Amino acid sequence: MEYAVETFSLTKIFSDWWGRTKVYAVDNLDLKVRPNEVFGLLGPNGSGKTTTLKMLLGLLHPTKGKSLLLGGDGADPKINCRIGFLPEESYLYRYLNARETLDFYGRLFGLPAKVRKMRIEALLDMVGLKAVANRAVGTFSKGMARRIGLAQALINDPDLLILDEPTTGLDPIGTRQIKDLVLRLAERGKTILLCSHLLADVEDICDRIAIMYGGKIQTQGHVRELLQQTNKRQITTDAISDATVEKIKQLVREEDADCEVTSPMDKLETFFIRTVTAAQQQAQPTSGAVSTTKIGDFLTQHEAVESILDKLVSAPISKNASGEIPATEKVAAVESARPKADEQLLSKLTSASEPSESKAVRREIKTEPVESQPRRQEQARENILDKLTGGSGTKSQDKDKTEKPQAGDSGDA
Amino acid sequence: MHSIWAVAINTIKQALRIKVAVVFTILLIVLLPVLGITTTGDETLKGRLQTFVSYALSLTSFLLCLLTIIISIYSVTSDIEQKQIYTVITKPIRRFQLILGKLFGVIVLNTILLCLFSAIIYTITIYMPKFINVPEYELIEANNEFFTARASLNVPEVDVTREVTDRYKELDRRGELPANVPREEIITQLTQQAQLAKRAAGVGQVLLWDFDNVESLAENIFIKFKYDVSVSPPDSQVYGRWFAGDYQYFKYGTQSKTPIYDEMHKHSVRDFHEIEIPAEVVPEHGHLAVAFMNVPLNNVAIIFPPDGLEVLYKADSFGNNFIRAVLLILFRLIFLACLGILAASFLSFPVAILFCFVIFFTASFSGFVIESFGFLGENIGTIYSYSLKWLIQLLPQFDKFNPTKFLVPARLISWSFLAKCAVLMVCIKAFLILILSLIIFSYREIARITV
Repeated sequence: MEYAVETFSLTKIFSDWWGRTKVYAVDNLDLKVRPNEVFGLLGPNGSGKTTTLKMLLGLLHPTKGKSLLLGGDGADPKINCRIGFLPEESYLYRYLNARETLDFYGRLFGLPAKVRKMRIEALLDMVGLKAVANRAVGTFSKGMARRIGLAQALINDPDLLILDEPTTGLDPIGTRQIKDLVLRLAERGKTILLCSHLLADVEDICDRIAIMYGGKIQTQGHVRELLQQTNKRQITTDAISDATVEKIKQLVREEDADCEVTSPMDKLETFFIRTVTAAQQQAQPTSGAVSTTKIGDFLTQHEAVESILDKLVSAPISKNASGEIPATEKVAAVESARPKADEQLLSKLTSASEPSESKAVRREIKTEPVESQPRRQEQARENILDKLTGGSGTKSQDKDKTEKPQAGDSGDA
Repeated sequence: MHSIWAVAINTIKQALRIKVAVVFTILLIVLLPVLGITTTGDETLKGRLQTFVSYALSLTSFLLCLLTIIISIYSVTSDIEQKQIYTVITKPIRRFQLILGKLFGVIVLNTILLCLFSAIIYTITIYMPKFINVPEYELIEANNEFFTARASLNVPEVDVTREVTDRYKELDRRGELPANVPREEIITQLTQQAQLAKRAAGVGQVLLWDFDNVESLAENIFIKFKYDVSVSPPDSQVYGRWFAGDYQYFKYGTQSKTPIYDEMHKHSVRDFHEIEIPAEVVPEHGHLAVAFMNVPLNNVAIIFPPDGLEVLYKADSFGNNFIRAVLLILFRLIFLACLGILAASFLSFPVAILFCFVIFFTASFSGFVIESFGFLGENIGTIYSYSLKWLIQLLPQFDKFNPTKFLVPARLISWSFLAKCAVLMVCIKAFLILILSLIIFSYREIARITV
């Protein structure tokens, strides 16, 4: 399987009642998403993103062309077993409560009762809805429904996660959490295809993007290649004295270049999360949005989840070791080894706890350029995350980011 | 299978939690006992029981039919309209499994509700005689004519073809045939006359019916009959002398080993009545005769209408018959569930409901509908017989398999009759409908067009 998602001249024409062509929703689309890639499908409203996803999943029949998901048909149950899908809105059964909802989807996968129960609890914890798990989802706010939607997409620990506008309706912490989750899943070798028009989100997490307009791909490529300003350099330092700044300016002027010195601004997102976290740590009563509080619950209960998940991860099961080695051009695949630290972190943030699949995943090591803009944001985010998770993940996370090439050395968890 | 079951459970939860099923259930739980208290029938215990069972069972059946149609349609269309199907169908479940799951859920729910309500009806029916003070003879009447399941002996067709042909020839010979009337019509008229003659007894005359291959019975047999008279007597009552016993005794006067029943009764005209006859009168060789004598006291000719005489015997208990009656309703519900699924597979909720109601009501009067089409003019009739007729034949005949039609007169619903209903309504018609809906649903586009 060379590509996780592949389409061949995929076309969808919507006709009117008389069969006259009305709209080319998707026009000869050739989309290729490699395994273990976070691929962002961008585009303005009505550019054919969602239609493309629906065709991939067999919800719409293409007028022309075909598509493959994980090397098979998107409507085939065998393929569906390995896919998680979050539609553009979380369409849930309003009369079921959160736990029943997840249980229903778990049953569709034929998960054994024990595994199902553990995953449901872990997922509810993860999305921060454990306290309201017995409330009908019809009474949930949009953000809460979104969280359940996300949880149902993850219940089978999918190899390919298809997310349509995953962050709509979520508060900044929820958004942050989804973005982190996507990154963690990618580290575990999962493929993520996401549709969005929230560019900041895409920029933070996607390896590659394609921008659609009028049902066609206008441009595609690596985010960094597309965005990096190769004619500029940025240096970030600790708070140094004005004298040193002057010295640096002097050096820069000697190279005949311009230089601008400012204090870096926090992103509002970072600031927001820091404020809420501080409030939570002081256990201040909140009259804020329900979902915000719930996320707090989830994050403070993080350790407990970790232990449950670790237990699950250490269970000795192995079924479909496919032996496939996802390879990208900048990646050296390391056979049959996973970094221990990485795995722990992962299990913490994802419910994805079935060790069987994870065994099949050969770690891929990203040797991305570290200097670019997203890198800096990542650093900041990690700090926040560490704070939120009570510092337990700090070490492993750093290791994860900086020592990836050594991943092959560490033993299996 | 696990996915079918998961969908089925979800469908049941849906029906209960959106409160459709709950409303119907409460309605019935309130209405059934009220019916039990308020029905009086013709003031006798039997009449009361008959009215209650008839109303209660019809009401339950009707409400459950509506519920089935609504739930089966809603569970499919709401999934599509509210798009929950996006997340369901992208899980490892095939479309046919989803549909089967929905259907299964509806049928399970129906079975549970039907069991509940029929248990209520049965209990009320059984306990009704104990709560009402009635004279002894009414209790006996109720036991004999209601709390039982009786089958009737086949009344042999009287063959009058030969008589009619002879009569026609005679008329022809005498030149008394009316002009301008086709032969068939004359034959029909003559046949009717001849058959009427076979059922009429002038004063002092005897009518005899014979029943072959009657097995010896444990319990008493009943003659159920209705008198018609040309001129009503002043008190609307006539005398009749009834005989029953060995056929050979009546026909050839041979000595009978079994007793012969011979009694005089007085009954009102134009009503059904029953006479109880001891089981011992049935001869060993099984050739039983029943005879009626129009005694001279009457001074008027007595005619038995075409369905005016039956010989009934107890074939099963009331309880068993009741269970089979409930099964008849269940088959009807299964058919409607399939129909609802079919409608929902390509129509939106309100249209599908309308479609199913039309089918349901047509099927409830299918006998009438089929009959009425028989009176179409020649040209339209030809078109009809090649087009609509087949469609109407495809409808299930709810009226033909109506359980109250059997329970009220305490008629046996035989297993073969039940099997016939199962084969026609479920195995053939419902199955075809289900296959069709699976095909439609498997090939349609699930997602709505949004650009």
